[in-house]
Amino acid sequence: MMAESAMTTYELFGYECVVMPFDLCLEAEIMGCKMNPYADSSELLYPTIKEKSKPTTEQLRAMARDPELTNKGRLPLMREALKIVRAKLGNQVAVGTYVLGPFTLGGQVSELEHLLKNAFKKPDEMLEYLDAMADVIIRIGGHLMESGYDYISVREMGATTDVLSPRVFKKIIAPALTKVAKGLKGPRILHICGQVGPIIADMAACGYDALSIDSKTDMKAAREAVGPGVVILGNFNPFAVLNTGDAKQAYDAIAQCVRSGVNGVHPGCDIWPTAKPENIEAMMRAVRETSAA
Amino acid sequence: MAMDEAKKTDLLHKLAQGVTEFDDDAVREAAEEWVATGEDTYDAIFDGLVAGMEEVGRLFSAQEYFVPEMLMAADSLYIGLDIMKPHMIQRDTGVKGTVVIGTVQGDVHDIGKNIVKMMFDVAGFNVFDLGRDVPLEEFLKKQLETNSDIVCLSAMMTTTMMGMPKVIAMIKEKNPNCKILIGGAPITDDVAVKFGADGTARDASNALEEAVKMIVALKNIQKEAMAKAGK
Repeated sequence: MMAESAMTTYELFGYECVVMPFDLCLEAEIMGCKMNPYADSSELLYPTIKEKSKPTTEQLRAMARDPELTNKGRLPLMREALKIVRAKLGNQVAVGTYVLGPFTLGGQVSELEHLLKNAFKKPDEMLEYLDAMADVIIRIGGHLMESGYDYISVREMGATTDVLSPRVFKKIIAPALTKVAKGLKGPRILHICGQVGPIIADMAACGYDALSIDSKTDMKAAREAVGPGVVILGNFNPFAVLNTGDAKQAYDAIAQCVRSGVNGVHPGCDIWPTAKPENIEAMMRAVRETSAA
Repeated sequence: MAMDEAKKTDLLHKLAQGVTEFDDDAVREAAEEWVATGEDTYDAIFDGLVAGMEEVGRLFSAQEYFVPEMLMAADSLYIGLDIMKPHMIQRDTGVKGTVVIGTVQGDVHDIGKNIVKMMFDVAGFNVFDLGRDVPLEEFLKKQLETNSDIVCLSAMMTTTMMGMPKVIAMIKEKNPNCKILIGGAPITDDVAVKFGADGTARDASNALEEAVKMIVALKNIQKEAMAKAGK
């Protein structure tokens, strides 16, 4: 079902990729957390973690060495889903996946408040913890890529400068992100949402093939900060463009996004299931027409 | 034993600075010293601890402080508050009440909510914290149970904020006088109006700033009320 749903973005709208999974709990589940899928809720909700496994640095190191890690949680399902997509679409379309960055995943499996304070109070412990977390991410992300996914995003949205200072990003977060980039093979994207203007040069230095940003960061300033050589994907606001506005507004917003100097039009966040079909069509049209012009 | 002005000024400064620099020990010492004098702790809380938090809010807006600094300052404030609150003379000025607060279902982000909760704690409100990932009906249930004056809803994500208008409608239907404040990263003034909320603080920095403003405003109202009562 995940594979079938994921393919609809391409089949219905010609959106040039298929992305799986749909939630942010894949790694946390593998790491022993319990997920709440809100099966009984009538609201449209993303799953969240209801029981955190709170692994120590030593436990993370052991997890990264565990030969059985790649058969845990929904990793077998992720392999199965990819086979279904390939059987139907072959290599017509890129199949992408993602993992959380070390700090954001830390917030999923442990208490975020504790990590935030430790980033300040116990920087050496945090560096060790995130380094161990990076090993686990490399195992999980590496396995997904070995299974045949075409590209991988590392989503480190917890480390935005809305939350952490650029100083802490550079000192505590960037080393682990750099390690993850080195450890993963294949096209890698580093995504951080919120305001990342002050850290975009540090993000670029982490060694990813592309950066992904959202609408809170000014694209022109970001381009100036990193120069023409860095691939930036971004940065339209998917909820405002695809869900709340009309098709004309969506077209204009996307055309504006293309002109702002992104290397690829990319939503700054998830496309929410209630997006209007006519807005998605307008988005696709705007990308083709504006890029061709 | 009365406190002389010089000592009072010194302790207020130590409390404020202790919060701003998240120096737990300094706050603890100053708070204990204040309590030992037997003096009412009202000023120490508001002109010491809250003044320090006000400065934290300013530093946050100026992007000198970020969330970790704010959390550590909050810890320091609570250390002082726990020591001094039992020694604050209760003021019956009409400005106090009950608040139900929580982060809506589907959302597990609660840092902004906790900051706002802290300011209600400081102001002497009776706070019922439902926590995070709270089913929408729980807000109504708790509001009816406590007959709270205020309900505060928090959401960090655009998608989870969509639960807010449902809660607001449910509560307003049963209890139109209950004030509903909403906050979180995706909340704008427009959204607050559209959802039928009575007020908002836009994001974490604003939540603190707005909460401090609210506390200062409350304090002024209290002062006026006391002045009137004294006449």
